Amino acid sequence: MNRYLSIFLLCALCACSSSSGEKDLVPPEILPVEEYISPTNCQEYPLGTFLPVACLFTDDVELGSFNLEVHNNFDHHTHGTEAGECRQDPKKDPVNPWIYNKDYKIPAGQSSYEVDLKIPIPEDVDLGEYHFMIRLTDASGWQQLRSVSIRLIEALD
Amino acid sequence: MIASILAAVMLLQLQDTVQVLGPATIYGESKRQELMHLSLGSVEVGRNYIENNFSGTLAQSLSSIPGVQARAIGSGQSKPAIRGLGFNRIAVAVDGIKHEGQQWGDDHGLEIDQFAVDRVEVVKGPGALMYGSDAIGGVLGIYTNYLPIKAFEGRVKLFGRSNNLSGGLSARLQGRREHFYWKLHLTGSDYADYKVPTDEIEYYSYRIPLKDGTLRNTAGLERDASLTLGYVSPSFRNDFKVSETWSKSGFFANAHGLEVRLSEIDYDASRRDIDLPWQSVSHLTLHNHSHLHGEGFTLDGDVAWQLNHRQERSEPVSHGYMPTPPDDLERDFRKHTLTGKLGGKIILSEKNLLQTGLDAEFQHNRRGGWGFIIPDFETLSTGLYLTDRHTVSEKLNFNAGLRYDHVYTDIHGYTDWFTTPDEDGTPAYKQRSGDISRHFDSFTWSAGLAWSPGRWVLKANLGKSFRVPIPKELGADGVNYHIFRYEKGSAELKPEQSYQADASINWIGKKLSFRLDPYLNLFPNYIYLNPGSNYYEGLQMYNYTQAEVFRSGFEAQLTWKVLSCLELEAKGEYLYARQLSGAKKGYGLPFSPPWKAGFDARYTFPGDGFVLMDVRIAGRQDEIVPPEKPTEGWYTLNFSAGKSFSLGPVVLKAAVQLENLLNRRYYDHTSYYRLIGVPEPGRNASLMLGLEF
Repeated sequence: MNRYLSIFLLCALCACSSSSGEKDLVPPEILPVEEYISPTNCQEYPLGTFLPVACLFTDDVELGSFNLEVHNNFDHHTHGTEAGECRQDPKKDPVNPWIYNKDYKIPAGQSSYEVDLKIPIPEDVDLGEYHFMIRLTDASGWQQLRSVSIRLIEALD
Repeated sequence: MIASILAAVMLLQLQDTVQVLGPATIYGESKRQELMHLSLGSVEVGRNYIENNFSGTLAQSLSSIPGVQARAIGSGQSKPAIRGLGFNRIAVAVDGIKHEGQQWGDDHGLEIDQFAVDRVEVVKGPGALMYGSDAIGGVLGIYTNYLPIKAFEGRVKLFGRSNNLSGGLSARLQGRREHFYWKLHLTGSDYADYKVPTDEIEYYSYRIPLKDGTLRNTAGLERDASLTLGYVSPSFRNDFKVSETWSKSGFFANAHGLEVRLSEIDYDASRRDIDLPWQSVSHLTLHNHSHLHGEGFTLDGDVAWQLNHRQERSEPVSHGYMPTPPDDLERDFRKHTLTGKLGGKIILSEKNLLQTGLDAEFQHNRRGGWGFIIPDFETLSTGLYLTDRHTVSEKLNFNAGLRYDHVYTDIHGYTDWFTTPDEDGTPAYKQRSGDISRHFDSFTWSAGLAWSPGRWVLKANLGKSFRVPIPKELGADGVNYHIFRYEKGSAELKPEQSYQADASINWIGKKLSFRLDPYLNLFPNYIYLNPGSNYYEGLQMYNYTQAEVFRSGFEAQLTWKVLSCLELEAKGEYLYARQLSGAKKGYGLPFSPPWKAGFDARYTFPGDGFVLMDVRIAGRQDEIVPPEKPTEGWYTLNFSAGKSFSLGPVVLKAAVQLENLLNRRYYDHTSYYRLIGVPEPGRNASLMLGLEF
């Protein structure tokens, strides 16, 4: 009896020590491109111009996809991930706020990917404080976030 | 492969055990008999155990049993798990009726009054044979069937906890006049926001300062009542019970919703108020149980109706293309469950006890509110089982059983209440979930033996269990607001199956006793919510898929009665899990418990009193899946003491517990709040005063 119990226990122990193979345990990173990253916290953009997005995504194995999003912070609902507060206006209700939300797929097999995009800013949206979010995944499902506050100002003539 | 090796090992064991049994004097006879009645590993605890280990919730009070974990989801709520499996992978049964709440949810606790519990039986292994789907990881059998013996008796308990400034009162009144008896339970408790030993938590680079280490808006309250009317005669017993459990509790304010948010609400104004976001749950049960006892047979019949009504409210906020909702009702679930059971035991001969039964359960779930996560559904499950217990002698018995189940699930489609631009930019009401109708059949079995040579009790069991995919797994298609992700079900999922080999090695000595419960477990198609790399409107997509999963582990316990008044105990548990196929091949499972150990010294003094000191240790957990983080190991030092005083016809009981004496800051890898970096509660003192008459 004891002999078989030991076999049983041995099975359990073997299972514990078996190697698990290569596992990706590291989230991707959102980095500047040669010390340049855009947008940065508290930057101001006139209506009708472009919001330049520039950064470098890296991962130790393989990148997945990313999402760029803009939503208003007229109700002062949260901080960004960057340190420091930007100038705040009094709270207000949105009338025609700018909503931008787009998912992007990174080509398969990339461990490094440079983003250089210009998002057109509509001419007729509400002015004021917005949040710009970058969300990034790697192929294994790890996620990284970056959130900054930006401000939309009057269109330039 | 593994299963066939196991089967071979078990067969060898079966042949090997039919041996001549020598006479032996058995100590701890009752303990031995308790162990012998089931070939699966099980632990039974009574009311005293729950009272001595009294914690904020029933799951926490039971978590000192090796192999049982409580997954904290805030101070007032926690979810039980057995050997790391929780949610719909364990069945919680109250007096034999499966408790049906919204157990799929991350932050939904158990709607059970822990003061009304008389006895708990934890079955650590596949319990599908008696309970059908969901009992794949084990059964938490809760019993409230105490039979009053006096014309009038009762007890009143007053309790409080310092960490969340909670206070409560529970009363049980009951009586019996010849054949008739009644029982009345009333419990009420209130608690404030709980404290953690930190001033700040960090989640995805967001820093959230905490005022005085208080987790804002985790306050709550609970109100429970139940009434039982019964009749008992030598051959017949009938219990009719009505019970209602109601609670309202806040969600941690800074991490509910789509992102870390600030709010107009002044959460720090009071530790006691419950602001948005909060949840309320009402669980109403009507249950009639009849038991007939005749010459060579018993017959049990149950009819029960449960209504679980849950509401989750939060500040209405626009998100993406969803405009600001009109009210704060984010989710509303109303689930009716009707259960009917008929079971019989037939004593075929001195050696054979046959058990057979038929179960049926109907569920009807309706959703409401502006947030969608699970669709409306109905399910109808029926099961038929037959088991035989063959007693060779008092020292050896075999048991084997078969069960067949049929489950029909009908899911209703769901379409958004707001429009989203389609590919051409035309606004359209998007369909989130389609109409799904599925039939599932399952055939399960179990076989085992219990053998008790001398002071040993050796048990082995091999069984197959199953679980039908729940509507969330089949039809979820929406944002999980609690955890910032998009969850998508799969209508094609197959019933989850599990093969498990269990052993239990017990030695019951005069001074020294030990117990080792090892197990091997294989899921050919474990249903897993896989974190993917795609986005849907900015939310990371998680998809339900199926993967082969291997699990193995053990629980161990060593008790040494040094003196008649001094007992030392060491206990531990270990679990290994590995996904063998699919997108996360090589990874473990989410919320895998790390190894744990506990050491305690208990001094009993004359006149029914005790003092207990214990250390609990947990190892580091590096077995993670996205989005988890590795969790450091930890230890806590705890103290408890209790004493009873006889004052004529009444007994006064006092118990005190000091938890996390050193106010250590640690994270529990299995806690829901671990994901957002919230440590476990700091130092806590709890006091319970009871009067029994």
